[in-house]
Parts: sequence; structure tokens; C-alpha cells
Amino acid sequence: MQAQEIITKVTDIFKYVLDDDTIVLCETTTATDIEEWDSLSHIQLIGAIEKQFKIKFTAPEIRGFKNVGDICNTIHRKLS
Amino acid sequence: MNKTIPQIIELIQQQNPLHAKKLKRNLKSLSEDNVVHYQLFVDKYETYLKNIDKNLDFAVDSYLKMISDFVLEQLRFIETGKYSNTSFEEVNNRVYNNPKVMEYFMNGLLLSQVLWKHHYLIYSFFTKNFPTYTKNIKNYLEIGGGHGLFISHAIDVLPVGTKFSLLDISPTSIEISKNFIGKSNVNYILENIFNFEINQKYDFITMGEVLEHVENPVELLVKLKNLLNDLGTIFITTPTNAPSIDHIYLFSNAEEIRSIIDAAGLTVVDDIKAYAEDLPEEKAIELKITMMYGCFLRKQ
Repeated sequence: MQAQEIITKVTDIFKYVLDDDTIVLCETTTATDIEEWDSLSHIQLIGAIEKQFKIKFTAPEIRGFKNVGDICNTIHRKLS
Repeated sequence: MNKTIPQIIELIQQQNPLHAKKLKRNLKSLSEDNVVHYQLFVDKYETYLKNIDKNLDFAVDSYLKMISDFVLEQLRFIETGKYSNTSFEEVNNRVYNNPKVMEYFMNGLLLSQVLWKHHYLIYSFFTKNFPTYTKNIKNYLEIGGGHGLFISHAIDVLPVGTKFSLLDISPTSIEISKNFIGKSNVNYILENIFNFEINQKYDFITMGEVLEHVENPVELLVKLKNLLNDLGTIFITTPTNAPSIDHIYLFSNAEEIRSIIDAAGLTVVDDIKAYAEDLPEEKAIELKITMMYGCFLRKQ
């Protein structure tokens, strides 16, 4: 799957889970940029991403999620 | 506020902006009284880091490793409704007998006492109410907990001559506790509480976050009751809905905890519920948000 397709799907997940159609994500987006992205919603987001892409993250991978780019790169690596 | 906390959160922010966001929000809601108490804890924590020849980078690294473990366990808990471990043997192999895991996990937990509002509220509840129970404490026992937080406070407030013992199943936890408590006459006992036999009773027993680590919590509470003088007091803490790499027994609510306390022949004298997220209690219960339960107990 191409990187652009991944970020598009992740954006759709964010919009759905956070109930906000105005969300725009880029690789450098962090939780500081999106008010509704907090520790509670993060679990729902990661769960939804796992389901969408049919992958399971590990603890070290979760540790590395500083921004949306890190999440997407990990998805890409796991799908390759 | 001690400059250490903003430094710690800034270090966390660089690696995990999401988590730093939560910490900043929670710390804002601490009362003035709590902040003063908080600083005393932070000073002790800084001394502890010096004692083990480590710095804040180590502390934050340990803490964030622990956080990522928690996130993963939370994910699986939401999927299955169960904790990932079901036996003490599993956890012993995975965690307690694994020094690499114990080092980051126990140091991460110690830092969480400073950074997590619900941990802080429990500590605050203990320190504020402890004076009610300190008359005639000659022998104090702390079981598990991994860091020596409560006994450390007891040492500060109880009279010279009080005998202190700390029992833990893990050598790593004993070392961490020794370094956090600092110079003292604490008798450190490396032992499984179920195998602990002694010809004496204690006047006060503390056991923080151990019940959820055993397969039979009633049995453990009965053990504590049998180690307690008739007029003695026990202080315990244990969480509900708290998936973790080393948790076995799932408490779903405070009533389940109170029920096993009663089954062990103990009675709750005073208690507190501290939720991990700032939500109305009804919502927190609906979303199965982790709740830390703390209570003072007496024999029935």
C-alpha cells in the first residue's frame, strides 16, 4: 500500500473516532495539534487502525509514535 | 513548583506529545495543598535518582517504555475484556524474574507516583489520614509496592524506636526501595508473602498494588489479617480495570474489592476512589477507566 493511501485511511479513522470531519493530518501532526486526540481517544484510534489494516502493534512500536508520520511509517513497514 | 516536574514533562513532550498533554492537564487540577506535598515527594525522587547514579533521561525512558506496555495491554483488554496474564507463574517469568523488564518497569512506576494524578491522590489520602492510626505503632510492615513510597512517609512521621520491615518478592524492587528510602534501619525481607512466617504481629501493615498480582486475593488478605495485631490497621491499594504486564486478578469495580475484603474478615474504615481520567464517575465506569482504590482496614 502506498504512503498516501495509508495517510488517507488514517485520516478517515481519525475523523470517525474523534467525530470531526475537519481533521487534516500530515506526517508531522501530533496530539498537540488536535484537541480531541487525548490518552482516551488514542486507545480507540490505535485499536481502529489495527482493525482497518489487519495488523497488531508491539509495545516498542507504540513507544515510537511521536506523530502521525511515525504511525503511518510503522503501518507501511508492517504491510510490506 | 520544583523545576524537576516541568523538566520531566518537557522530556516526555519531546518523545510523546500525547502523553505530555495528559500530564499537563492533570497537574493543573491539583490543589495548592497537594502541590506543596507534591514538591516534598519530588525532592525525594531527585535524591533517589542520585543514589542510583541515574538522571532524568533514564527516568523518562523507563517511564515511556512502561507507558507503551500499558497502551498495548489496554488495547488487548478492550478486545478481550480480560487481563493478558492469568497466573502468577506467567508474570513471574515475564516480569519479576526478568531484571531488564523490572528495571524499567519499577522505575517507570516510581515516576508515575509523581506524574499520575490518581496515584498522587492515593498517596495524599494515605499521608493525610495516616496520623489517625499512628497511636501505638511499634511494628510496621510494608509488603510489595516496589518502591517504598508509603513506608518512607511512615519513617518520617513515626517516632524513633519504631521497627520497620519491608517485604518484597523481587530483589530489584528491594534495591529500588532501599535507594528511595535512603539510610534507615528498615529490615528488608526478600520473600514471597505467602511463605512468610514470623512469631510476631504488626501494628500497621501497608500493601500497595499487590492484590491484583495474585491469583487468590482473599487468601492474601487473610494472611495479612493473621499478621496483624487485634487493634492494628492495614492500608491497601488496588486498581480496577487496570490491564498491565504484571496484573492477574481483574477487579471490575470497588464493590468487588470490598467484597473480598469482607470475605477475608476485614472491614473498611475509610476509603478513596481515584480515577485515572478526569471524567464524571458514571462515564468513567461506563468506559471502564482505571480506578485506584485505597482503604484503611481493621479486623472485623
